[in-house]
Amino acid sequence: MGALRARSAPIAALLALALAACAPAPQAERGAIPRMVKRDYVTCGASQGITGLSRPDEKGVWRGFDVDICRAFAAALLGDADKIRFIPLNAAQRLPAVQTGEIDVLQRTTTVTFTRDMAIRFVAVTQFDSDVLIFRKALGATEPKGLDGRTVCLQSGGSSADNTLTRVEADEGIHFERVYFDSTITARDAYFSGRCDVYVTDGFLGASQVATVARNPTDHTLLYLDHLLPQGVAIARGDDRWFDVVRWTVNLLIWAEQNGVTQANVDEQLRSGPAEVRRVLGADPAFGRAIGLDQRWAYTVIKEVGNYGEIWERNLGGTTRIKADRRLNRSYKDGGLLFPFPWDV
Amino acid sequence: MSGPALAPPAAPPPARAPRAPIAWPAVAAQSAAVALVAALLVLVAVTTAANLELRGIPTGFEFLGDRAGFKIADTVIAFSPDHSYLRAIAVGVGNTLFLSLIVCLAATVVGALLGVARLSANPLVAALAAVWVEAVRNTPPVLLLIFLYALWSQAMPVGGAQEVLPGIVASVRGVAVPKLETGLPAWAWAAALLASLTAPVLASRAARRRTPSGARRPPYGRAVLAAVALAWVAAALLGGWSLELPRAAGEDLAGGARLTPEFATVVFGLTVYTAGFIAEIVRSGIEAIPRGQWEAGRALGLSEGRILRLVVAPQTLRVITPPMTSQYINTVKNSTLAIAIGYSEFMTVMGTVINRTNQPLEGTLVIVAVYMAINLALAAGLDLLNRRVQPEQR
Repeated sequence: MGALRARSAPIAALLALALAACAPAPQAERGAIPRMVKRDYVTCGASQGITGLSRPDEKGVWRGFDVDICRAFAAALLGDADKIRFIPLNAAQRLPAVQTGEIDVLQRTTTVTFTRDMAIRFVAVTQFDSDVLIFRKALGATEPKGLDGRTVCLQSGGSSADNTLTRVEADEGIHFERVYFDSTITARDAYFSGRCDVYVTDGFLGASQVATVARNPTDHTLLYLDHLLPQGVAIARGDDRWFDVVRWTVNLLIWAEQNGVTQANVDEQLRSGPAEVRRVLGADPAFGRAIGLDQRWAYTVIKEVGNYGEIWERNLGGTTRIKADRRLNRSYKDGGLLFPFPWDV
Repeated sequence: MSGPALAPPAAPPPARAPRAPIAWPAVAAQSAAVALVAALLVLVAVTTAANLELRGIPTGFEFLGDRAGFKIADTVIAFSPDHSYLRAIAVGVGNTLFLSLIVCLAATVVGALLGVARLSANPLVAALAAVWVEAVRNTPPVLLLIFLYALWSQAMPVGGAQEVLPGIVASVRGVAVPKLETGLPAWAWAAALLASLTAPVLASRAARRRTPSGARRPPYGRAVLAAVALAWVAAALLGGWSLELPRAAGEDLAGGARLTPEFATVVFGLTVYTAGFIAEIVRSGIEAIPRGQWEAGRALGLSEGRILRLVVAPQTLRVITPPMTSQYINTVKNSTLAIAIGYSEFMTVMGTVINRTNQPLEGTLVIVAVYMAINLALAAGLDLLNRRVQPEQR
């Protein structure tokens, strides 16, 4: 009997320990900001590797449009654009990762939809995209009708591309053979290997893949569909303070471009720019106080990552291999959809 | 105080076996352990529920009845986006079962041959089988699938589909074989095939039951087999069927029965993989039979093949049934690897369902429940078989 007790005692102790460890976490720490400030970095959900949007370079440093937008949040909150970690996520992982707090912010080609906004909280639209049909020029098609009966590779997971394809079929009275893959990367590889005639995906993502992966990018036609896909940045629901920071950081990037504030001239603008520009950049302590950030947070963001246009040019623009057309991602003054909210009346 | 196991056996068997006195301290210790485990589970459940509430994540299975709104390629059960999530799950289960069944059947046949080949006296045959077995047993299966899928796109004819063998057309889009057109539904075919296969076996059994041991058995089995064969030949001669040959249409295939590269790769890959394990089970099962059995067979003047078939194989069956059960269960679980190359099995479908409904917890519970149901049913069925093949324990 003694032997039995001796054996079961450590097990019981272990179980008791496990019980203690599982005790509910203190509920006081609501919201992501105290958590991020305490650990001194922001975690951002990224893609599994799309050049120009989010992808680690050969040194392991994450680069891309989505990555730079995320860096702006770190610069705003923690005063340093490098105080950030990126977590690559697939389509099925991204929403739960936001809900559970595994990541603080999601900026990863995620279209704002009603269903998703009921699960997480979209803060702002950071990019206007549309789906693109990619196919070989050799097919000789110039519009979707010419692709009747063709085989299409696409990502499953109820992707917007799938819905778009269904809409195109209904509108044009045509039919596609679909082959689904678990990520855009496997779908892309299948298309390039000849498994499919057509590859359908998000516009900028597709442009990047053709520019950087295709053996000869000019062999492929990119047919953009006119269906708008607003790509948003999202956080967990019920976190007003973090919502403020994210929304107004995005606003700052757009505002800075439209007011000519750039990474290069931000010091000069802070010193001798127009009154409103100087106030936003830190001359007026009221902005920083109201949002709970450093007085010069806006200056720090522009100094570290630049404005919206600079982020675009650096990652997707004419100097890159992708050379993506900004299309609707220009100022409303130039026929785009981007506009800043005013800082005050 | 000694435990019940050490109690000395009572000399004359009484009406009821004497009960060992209950060791209360031991009972208390065990109850405490059970209570702790139960408390732990309850705590996990309560904490999870509280956290879900805190994060505002809605829970519940109402979504199962909602419109799925997505498509699934290559299904056994018909499916359209207007069907419910529940139906989507059924479609995924159907695809998984279909895939697992084909892989299990094919791997059993291939694996049994491979296992026998490993024991072959021919060193070339034995070495080839050994290479196969060691290669698949020491590499992750997902690697094999990805390799085969990549190989498909590189190895298939370039610049359009081609007839690789008479009647078989292949391209990077898939492979097509001639299709028999009879106008009969698939279930009629399955039933006819099943009857043709079981009837000779049943007849041969009936012959064995009715003949006293040692007497020459009447060849009922062969007679029925001959009748079945005649019936098939007659049906074929009677006509009413046609063969639809596949043909190339550019990169695409037209006509015939088509296999997508995804399905073909996953069936082929998992069969090759599982066969390696089954070969080892079969080999160890054969080697578990004492040498004396072979020697006794030789002393009776039986050929090696007949010894294997009549003496060793029936005894091997007893040894290998339990490990085979576990291998079949592994195959069902391994079918989830099809996700890597885009065949819509259950796991792939559930990934889509979770992504669309954003109910990861419920989705995972469904996944667990489905795999447990499939595998427990499989284990129960094979356990019945196991009891039938095992000799009476004395």
